[in-house]
Amino acid sequence: MLSAQERAHVAQVWDLIAGHEAPFGAELLLRLFTVYPSTKTYFKHLGDRPDEVQLLSHGQRVLEAVGVAVRHMDNLRAALSPLADLHAHVLRVDPTNFPLLIQCFQVVLASHLQGEFTVEMQAVWDKFLTALSVVLTEKYR
Amino acid sequence: MVHLTGEEKSAVAALWAKVNVEEVGGEALGRLLVVYPWTQRFFEAFGDLSTADAVMKNPNVKKHGKKVLGSFSDGLKHLDDLKGTFAALSELHCDKLHVDPENFKLLGNVLVVVLARHFGKEFTPGLQAAYQKVVAGVANALAHKYH
Repeated sequence: MLSAQERAHVAQVWDLIAGHEAPFGAELLLRLFTVYPSTKTYFKHLGDRPDEVQLLSHGQRVLEAVGVAVRHMDNLRAALSPLADLHAHVLRVDPTNFPLLIQCFQVVLASHLQGEFTVEMQAVWDKFLTALSVVLTEKYR
Repeated sequence: MVHLTGEEKSAVAALWAKVNVEEVGGEALGRLLVVYPWTQRFFEAFGDLSTADAVMKNPNVKKHGKKVLGSFSDGLKHLDDLKGTFAALSELHCDKLHVDPENFKLLGNVLVVVLARHFGKEFTPGLQAAYQKVVAGVANALAHKYH
């Protein structure tokens, strides 16, 4: 699905995020909730205005899962199977929300990497994150 | 109708004042064509779009990007009447250009990412929220006259 060059771009960007999963994830979620307030309906346990501690904690979890995906680009289905089960049977996040999260992910990448955020990186990460969301929603029905 | 608070309107205008419309327009259109390659279907006459580099350097892409963002820029002056402002362009995109309105949403999202790239930390979640409302409003206005 991803060519060798595309995998290199995924890894290249991940190297810049690795070690910073919590703050990156926290900003990702803050943007998601600010820009698309309806997404908060999936996080009732975080309250109406999630605080920094909650955002960092949950943000880290989300980004660590992305890290798993990066390490298993050849075999996303197997690597993400437990998460796919969770989303299908417990979380049941409407599939239309994944593009919203992906948009916010791109904005976080762009605002942090700025001059280094090439069009190739944007293209590959859009493709990669979209593939991820397909796997996470595949068991829905 | 876009619903921005007074504060959001000021913030949108303040950031836009710093935007190089020509440069950002070309970059946004270029990135659209690379990230979502099927959008190239509307630009077959533009010449070499075979690689990311070719797209980003293509003079027709830059020229058209400038034109598109110039229109968007005009729209920002009429946030209270986007449908009226873009009525003629909406008809054009439907009747002559035959562009699926989904493409307006895609371009709007790419534009937001380009703004984030240029402005970095200054492009706060609040500012992103305001701009996402604006691009959604423009996309709706451009789709409004479709029939």
